Amino acid sequence: MATSGNKNINAKLVLLGDVGAGKSSLVLRFVKDQFVEFQESTIGAAFFSQTLAVNDATVKFEIWDTAGQERYHSLAPMYYRGAAAAIIVFDITNQASFERAKKWVQELQAQGNPNMVMALAGNKADLLDARKVSAEEAETYAQENSLFFMETSAKTATNVKDIFYEIAKRLPRVQPTENPTGMVLPSGQAATAVNSSCCA
Amino acid sequence: MTSDSSSSPSSSDTEFADPNPSTDPGTNSERVQSQLESMNLSEPSEVSDGSHTDYGGGDDDDDAPAEVALSNANEGGFTNGRVVREDLAETSGEEGREASLRAEHPVEMEAGEEPPSPTSSGYDGERGSSGGATSTYKADDASEDEIREANGDGDTASQHEAAWLPGKRHVHEDDASISWRKRKKHFFILSNSGKPIYSRYGDEHKLAGFSATLQAIISFVENGGDRVNLVKAGKHQVVFLVKGPIYLVCISCTDETYDYLRGQLDLLYGQMILILTKSIDRCFEKNAKFDMSPLLGGTDAVFSSLVHSFSWNPATFLHAYTCLPIQYALRQAAGTILQEVCASGVLFSLLMCRHKVISLAGAQKASLHPDDLLLLSNFVMSSESFRTSESFSPICLPRYNPQAFLHAYVHFFDDDTYVMLLTTRSEAFYHLKDCRIRIEAVLLKSNILSMVQRSIAEGGMRVEDLPIDRRLRQKASSTNNQGQDTGGPDRLRDISVGTGGPFGLWHFIYRSIYLDQYISSEFSLPVTSHRQQKSLYRAYQKLYASMHDKGLGPHKTQYRRDENYTLLCWVTPDFELYAAFDPLADKAMAIKMCNQVCQRVKDLENEVFLQGASPFSW
Repeated sequence: MATSGNKNINAKLVLLGDVGAGKSSLVLRFVKDQFVEFQESTIGAAFFSQTLAVNDATVKFEIWDTAGQERYHSLAPMYYRGAAAAIIVFDITNQASFERAKKWVQELQAQGNPNMVMALAGNKADLLDARKVSAEEAETYAQENSLFFMETSAKTATNVKDIFYEIAKRLPRVQPTENPTGMVLPSGQAATAVNSSCCA
Repeated sequence: MTSDSSSSPSSSDTEFADPNPSTDPGTNSERVQSQLESMNLSEPSEVSDGSHTDYGGGDDDDDAPAEVALSNANEGGFTNGRVVREDLAETSGEEGREASLRAEHPVEMEAGEEPPSPTSSGYDGERGSSGGATSTYKADDASEDEIREANGDGDTASQHEAAWLPGKRHVHEDDASISWRKRKKHFFILSNSGKPIYSRYGDEHKLAGFSATLQAIISFVENGGDRVNLVKAGKHQVVFLVKGPIYLVCISCTDETYDYLRGQLDLLYGQMILILTKSIDRCFEKNAKFDMSPLLGGTDAVFSSLVHSFSWNPATFLHAYTCLPIQYALRQAAGTILQEVCASGVLFSLLMCRHKVISLAGAQKASLHPDDLLLLSNFVMSSESFRTSESFSPICLPRYNPQAFLHAYVHFFDDDTYVMLLTTRSEAFYHLKDCRIRIEAVLLKSNILSMVQRSIAEGGMRVEDLPIDRRLRQKASSTNNQGQDTGGPDRLRDISVGTGGPFGLWHFIYRSIYLDQYISSEFSLPVTSHRQQKSLYRAYQKLYASMHDKGLGPHKTQYRRDENYTLLCWVTPDFELYAAFDPLADKAMAIKMCNQVCQRVKDLENEVFLQGASPFSW
């Protein structure tokens, strides 16, 4: 690619969330534009890559779709270590999955890369009738923890591209060098810095 | 024990005791001759009573010391069953008593309703017992009809694999459901505190009471300083296997041998270890009431597929693996790149087609047990998730190291062919991905993937392709298998079409001892329906069990005739041959035919076996 000024960014992205929240469905919609009603349980982790063009850069996502099953939890650090971005997925029709998502956020804030771009996805947004987690509740939680929140539906493709696109926009452009003092701090401060720079 | 009345003990035969079997084909053919002569000399008396059931039951008597401190009465399984259950009621209180009473019912119902089936498998009984059942049974029957219709195309083994739907059936059932009680074969995994971990049918959580009952039986006997291995109750066998804090139980009225049912429990345990490792024991050390079932979340399909394979995959009782037939040069090319990959720090690299090996390689001194291979391919084939993209998953090989996880990179090149790369390093994903790209390049260059598809389409060895003597074929087709009551359409077809290969040979399995591999012929007429195939495998399993009976020592040959088959088994230090003939096949001809089969397999050994697979020859 000889496009001048364009940067190629490789970004490792990890999806975390409870069993059946729809991680694999989101990825398959994003990468292959496919959806199956009864997605089989993921074993270990599945690897995908997908490239997105965002304004000034081409972002190549290396996506780790992790298994939500309890037995794989101890392996999660293997996948989120060094990740530039994470999507924490919950199912809006399942309160427990939202609680599980909060635990993942805590874990990432404590253990993950402090510059990580974190997104909270309230998936299955097409199932409005069965909603158990209100958009306000999730939005409030996201703001408190400096994540950005979107309700998605892998089934109808609502907001699926958008959430990946938004992440791509928020990724720090020159990863290693741009590291002002404030960014080193975990969670709150670092993420607000990201917010202020991108959400004009 | 009838099975042994027809088999000749190995006695002091020097060949049999030869600890260093020669692999030279030249000496082999000599051996074939001499073996055959000895076969003729020591021709065993035939067993033509047709009672397969006899050896099912007979086998277990040899395990007398293991057979619980129950009672000496061997005549009535019922008595045994009651003894245990009464004891149990004392130990486990009211709930236990209730469960035990309920558990007793199916035994009586089954025994009362069904006349003893004359067929070897007991599978016919399954249909008989479906009288009071629901629409779920219809679904079962329908799927079998599909299989039957598809049979005309030839590749039946793979077709019934394809028609079989993975995943757990009948989840709505529990031990109070009549349909649940009538199932022919149950498998349970539970913890030593009685918590359910897995059940083949029904929701584990609803079966908590039943699990507690099983636990109570086991711990009652253990408290007496003994171990319960088998309880017989009429047609039912209850087989127990204790693996530390994990208990496995099979309740079956399928007339399979105790040894094989126990082997199935072993494999079930192995599958669990493959998913979780044996370090799971530590969770029970910390907390005896640990609930393990959530840890197996999403693996129902893996277990149900394994249970299904007990009735179609000979690897489950032969403890050997099988290869996809493919040109020697292609297998070599695949082997070379796999070997290279292993040299770069990969522990095992395997190129597989469904459950069959195309080629495999291992790092130096690393050896892969055929059972591990079976469990691994079952795990991958039954998990749809591996097909969506590249996967990287922790797995444990129970025979290699039950304590530790390996990391498996799995990638499907097409619907059937996939590569598995196993490593000890959790950070090796990108390296393995590179290895896969290198392998893929070789496969594309040598056109292996399309040759694999061709091999699938063509199928394996066929009995019809063996040298044919038409006169005997005529005779064979006139006799057919009328003893087998498999229902209308099947029987009509069987009679209308000629049967099998020359001399009434219907099917064979040849197992090479030193390669740890077997080759089985494609199913041909008249063994076409899934039911008939299952029944033949059950007959082989019994043959295998009686040939490897520990109590009576290894045997060399067995010739057995009943109304379904004539079975001939021949065991040498180099190979084992299991062959099924028309029930009216001529014995001398059958023996000649076995010799021909062995010769034929030797002629084709470079195509049907993986030669020089270093991991196995250590």
